[in-house]
Amino acid sequence: MKRIVEFTVNGEARDMAVDACCSLLDALRDDVGLTGTKKGCDVGDCGACTVIIDGEPVNACLVLAVEAEGRSVETVEGLQPGVDTLHPLQDAFMRHGASQCGFCTPGILMMAKKLLDDNPHPTDEDIRFGLSGNICRCTGYTKIFDAIRFAAREMEAARS
Amino acid sequence: MNMTTPIEQREFKIVGKSVKRDDVLEKVTGEAQYTGDIKLPGMLHGKIKRAAIAHARIKSIDVSKALAYPGVKAVLTHETVPRVLHYGSPHPRSASCTKDQYILDDKVRFWGEGVAAVAAISEEIADEALDLIEVEYDALPAVFEPEEAAQPGAPLIHEVGPGGNLVLDPVRVNRGDVDKGFAEADFVLEGTFAGGRPHPAYMEPNVCVADWDGSNKLTFWTSTQTSFMVRGILAEVLGLPLTKVRVLVDHMGGGFGAKQDLFQHEFLCALLAKETRRPVKMEFTRHETFVAGRSRHPCKIWLKQGFKNDGTLVARDMKLVYDSGAYGSHGPGVTIVGTTAATSLYRCENVRLEGRCVYTNTPINGAFRGYGVVQSYYALDIQMDEAAERLGMDPAELKLKNVVRAGDIAPSGHPIIGHGLEICLQHGIDVLDWKALWNRDRTPDPKRPHIRKGWGIGCEMHGSSAYPGIKEQGNATVKVNEDGTVTLLTGAAGLGTGAHTALAQIVAEELGVRFEDVGVIHGDTDVVPWDIGAFASHTTYLVGTAAKMAAGKVRASVLARAAMKLQVSPEEIDLSEGKVFLIAEPDRCMTVSEAMGPSRGIPAANIVANGTYEPTKSYSFAAHFTEVDVDTETGIVEVRRVVPVHDVGRVIHPIAAEGQIEGGIQQGIGHTLTEDYVIDKKTGRSLNAGLVDYKMPLSMDMPDIETIILEAAPDPGGPWGAKGVGEDPIIAIGPSIANAIHDAIGVRFHHYPITPEDILKALREKGA
Repeated sequence: MKRIVEFTVNGEARDMAVDACCSLLDALRDDVGLTGTKKGCDVGDCGACTVIIDGEPVNACLVLAVEAEGRSVETVEGLQPGVDTLHPLQDAFMRHGASQCGFCTPGILMMAKKLLDDNPHPTDEDIRFGLSGNICRCTGYTKIFDAIRFAAREMEAARS
Repeated sequence: MNMTTPIEQREFKIVGKSVKRDDVLEKVTGEAQYTGDIKLPGMLHGKIKRAAIAHARIKSIDVSKALAYPGVKAVLTHETVPRVLHYGSPHPRSASCTKDQYILDDKVRFWGEGVAAVAAISEEIADEALDLIEVEYDALPAVFEPEEAAQPGAPLIHEVGPGGNLVLDPVRVNRGDVDKGFAEADFVLEGTFAGGRPHPAYMEPNVCVADWDGSNKLTFWTSTQTSFMVRGILAEVLGLPLTKVRVLVDHMGGGFGAKQDLFQHEFLCALLAKETRRPVKMEFTRHETFVAGRSRHPCKIWLKQGFKNDGTLVARDMKLVYDSGAYGSHGPGVTIVGTTAATSLYRCENVRLEGRCVYTNTPINGAFRGYGVVQSYYALDIQMDEAAERLGMDPAELKLKNVVRAGDIAPSGHPIIGHGLEICLQHGIDVLDWKALWNRDRTPDPKRPHIRKGWGIGCEMHGSSAYPGIKEQGNATVKVNEDGTVTLLTGAAGLGTGAHTALAQIVAEELGVRFEDVGVIHGDTDVVPWDIGAFASHTTYLVGTAAKMAAGKVRASVLARAAMKLQVSPEEIDLSEGKVFLIAEPDRCMTVSEAMGPSRGIPAANIVANGTYEPTKSYSFAAHFTEVDVDTETGIVEVRRVVPVHDVGRVIHPIAAEGQIEGGIQQGIGHTLTEDYVIDKKTGRSLNAGLVDYKMPLSMDMPDIETIILEAAPDPGGPWGAKGVGEDPIIAIGPSIANAIHDAIGVRFHHYPITPEDILKALREKGA
């Protein structure tokens, strides 16, 4: 039996009819049509489906869609501040070669956003620890670290 | 192209710059469309029933309950699919393929092999229906180790092939006189080496969508590196002309070589869609990417080499046995490439090599970055380190003495161009002050006496292109549009390397337009020129040259047209940044758009050209310098620092090239220390088919990588001397780690992965 779930996604009120056993990941991808969030394992191992719910990063594959009721979900599609502008992290990922195949990128961007929202001046160790649940198989992480450090500086400059 | 063709020099405007990759904008916004994102009206979901036995005949298979299950639309078994023997690795230009697969067979050859397929209105229903399929097996004796499988009387896994569970006849290479070489040697080193079964673990699980239209044409979206091979084999097996199969691939979530087979699920997806007359999507679970995907061939190597006391290598005798798993896939290619590679790297005039590839009742091994060479060079490089130890020499010095140089015969049979490896090695020695590093005081830090530091060097070389195993062909079509923009059509897959950006840079540079004015069309076999596939580190080298050729032709056409309009001769004008101008009078100019447009009775132009390139092969080189900490209490090896020095010829996009190197190092650290896809030796079951139990290096594990790229030995076979880079890093990093571990604790390991248990056991034995 389907249940109607009312929630906010990227600032927009939405409802969706989902089975009780449907994961938030499948609901976002199949019912809401937001396919930016990726399914790399569906069991919480890879971090490709990281989204932010009420300010906390989660693996969307481990959350039931019905649990999103009344909550606010942020996905990669909501990261751009405007149609023609990029979030500093998005811009930094482009400049620094932090995205190769791009499949882990949405999850890593969301995790990095959370990291910088909480901690605008992360140390290298903070960045490494912050991404420890996100698998990237292409980059060796080097360029991802570069991009996050760069974005942190850009965001700091924009604030001051 | 003649190997002695001089490499054109010029002031580059676009090549050599890390321009913004177009594909990455879509990737950071979430708009990039991957095959799994496709949703078609009425689409069904396919799932595969997998055998829970490693070797058996199917006695009976009853699908009646599954078919009757509400929501199930079709079930296929070996009794209902076409029975066509086909290749797993569909390289149409290779003589080394083994036709040994059926879409579904009445025999199971590994635990996890598909025996039936279901299409249903949801993934859940399809999954539930799998449990309703009843299969009765007649178990057969199974073999899980190549040595065992190669014994006379071992259970035969295939009826085809040379017999004795060999995938192909043994590969033999003989140069010089090995026996004479050993007779002249002052000392001989002999050892056995073993490589594990690393899995590529690309982030995007295999996925495809099949849709047939009313004219009986199949449209097939799939995450593949080789879309034209998928088209060819699908058409052959399904009995269709190529006009009736259209293969589409937009973005791919990685492949690393392993997505260049034609997989069982791809046939089944197409057939389920045909049966139901509805689109069908089939998406692997992560578990299935291990079980039904492809891993690197485990390999056992026996290596014996003779040396003179001055370090000269005088004889090399080597036997390699690759474990193909249950099907041939890339086994023949890997065996030929990996074995033949051992003629080179370190110079030796007397070489005798024998490579075998053997079927076992284990999941299929296929192409994976490094293609057989990871295994053979691991052995060669470690034994070179041992020779240095025996001679009391600095390993850098001995490696420098023996590395291949310009004019040496490469594994391809052609002379090597340039001193790339020597230059890389020397460069690393210089920037690290290696001599001081090697002669350092090795007393452990008294504050952390259980931590032992070590440094090691690993060398490698790798060909761009699969020549001579495959006679390659690169194709590109370049069109100039009436507004002066340019469209490049290429069949090269975009598996994440940035290849399309590099190709656009090459076109813009050669043609004389701005980078942002070049658009790339790819990923549609109905539209783009035929392509061999993205593998063998060759896209920039092979397709890049074809794109340069096509761009050169359209440039000439644009210049001819502009000359007509400017009423000058084409020799008097030049084209740069989208403007045609008189060389003597640069102010007299017109845009490409103006040149293209109609005027004074001249109709608008249709300027389009193809470039076709059939290369031999170039070699790229690398020396990796690696520092490790070995914890003698836990056995954990931490890679602290890697200085990879690579020669890739002309660099087209520095950041993308660095990204290839750094990602290759990540995967190489993995297979050397922690990654091994483990198959139970009693049952053939997969023991760690998931991303937690299969342990890859992640953000907390990665060392500092200080990448150095040299344009040491440009090769005239590539655009402005560019060579490949994709596979090189994963080959050099392994032996550098093993050699560093030896430097740290004085123990030689001949296998990978080198686990903490191995370290602790060796230290206990050493202490005893």
